[in-house]
Amino acid sequence: MTTNSQNGAARLPGRVLVVDDSSLVRLYFREALGRAGFAVDEAINGIEAMEKVLAGDIDLVIVDINMPRMDGVTFLRTLRRSSSAAAMLPALVISTEAGEDDREQARAAGANFYLVKPVSQEDVARYAAALTGLPR
Amino acid sequence: MAQLTSIEPAIRATDEEVQRLCEFLYRRTGMSFSIDKRYYIDRRLAERIAVTGSSSFQSYFALLRSDVDHEIEHLVNAFTVNETYFYREEHQLHCLTAGVLERIVSTRPAGAPIRIWSVPCSTGEEPYSIAIWLLENWGQVDAFDIEIVGSDIDTRVLEAAISGVYGKRALMRLSATVIQRYFEPIGPGEYRIDPGLRDSVQFHRVNVVDPQQTAAYRDFDVIFCRNLLIYFDDASRRLAAENLYDCLRPGGYILLGHSESMSRISPLFDVCRFPDAIVYQRAEGGHDNQ
Repeated sequence: MTTNSQNGAARLPGRVLVVDDSSLVRLYFREALGRAGFAVDEAINGIEAMEKVLAGDIDLVIVDINMPRMDGVTFLRTLRRSSSAAAMLPALVISTEAGEDDREQARAAGANFYLVKPVSQEDVARYAAALTGLPR
Repeated sequence: MAQLTSIEPAIRATDEEVQRLCEFLYRRTGMSFSIDKRYYIDRRLAERIAVTGSSSFQSYFALLRSDVDHEIEHLVNAFTVNETYFYREEHQLHCLTAGVLERIVSTRPAGAPIRIWSVPCSTGEEPYSIAIWLLENWGQVDAFDIEIVGSDIDTRVLEAAISGVYGKRALMRLSATVIQRYFEPIGPGEYRIDPGLRDSVQFHRVNVVDPQQTAAYRDFDVIFCRNLLIYFDDASRRLAAENLYDCLRPGGYILLGHSESMSRISPLFDVCRFPDAIVYQRAEGGHDNQ
């Protein structure tokens, strides 16, 4: 579901794509971001996420690592190598994987920041604001 | 509320008759029962027709209009006694997040599945309440792969659960904020549950007395089974309880209704007294249920 859907002229503070295979987790992040004034799109895996970022209008991607069909690391690699303007989008990884290897792999694939679940709704909003360059 | 078997009422009122009945009740009591809740109405109405010894809907309706032996009150009670609503047993939901889940996740790695089963789930209020409660009250909701399943023997209530449309009364215990977050108003006094929330719960038909049907249900960490076992005779009750035992992961928990005690039904479970509720547990090592 998309919240706070507005036209291009009044898009502040931005549109976030939440990529996670759990509908409950997407809802949890969507609520956090919606309360902070963000518009939210959702995708259930990397493939769906690629379609949505290439369609444009996304300011930040929040992406899980472990997902079926296309995981978060593969998604980030694919995104960064794409020739679209979306290749430069800021990306926040939020994953249950807490190992240094996982962080390093995500960073190498193009993650701008990495948070380990559980993440509070306040922190989701705070990091989203920071990565979209908005004061909060 | 689900029953052991689907009972076909001996006397079934027509749509027009049910409409008249609902209009009458609304005028006399202010309580609004919608004709789209026929699955509640038919069963309760058939019970009252049988109890009062009425030979037809017409004769029962005449008796109701004259309020013989406080029949209006009896009918309203019958209509509402098993009507469920969101956050109905809030103490159990509190127990889920403050006690049961905290124990479960203390030994489980992040990202692992947590499986919760609501049976009978009726029209979905309980499993959706669990999902909402977790989103609103459990800070680890994003750290585990939470699966919520709702089951009932009655396919009509399951269809209603999947459609996710509720009247105002079903939402009476929810705050305005929670309603605004997870429901969309779709008409006068009618709300549709958020599609994301609807996708968070899977619904399946099951008869818990039948071990062949429950065989597909395994590794649940928590089962909510409120006010189902009371409908059964002793043998069926024990059979159902032991089927549910097999559906639990070792160390898993089952929550029953107020008036139910697993200790009186089956010796397989251990009693856990949490501050908010009594919960029954399948032992870690597990008794062998043969």
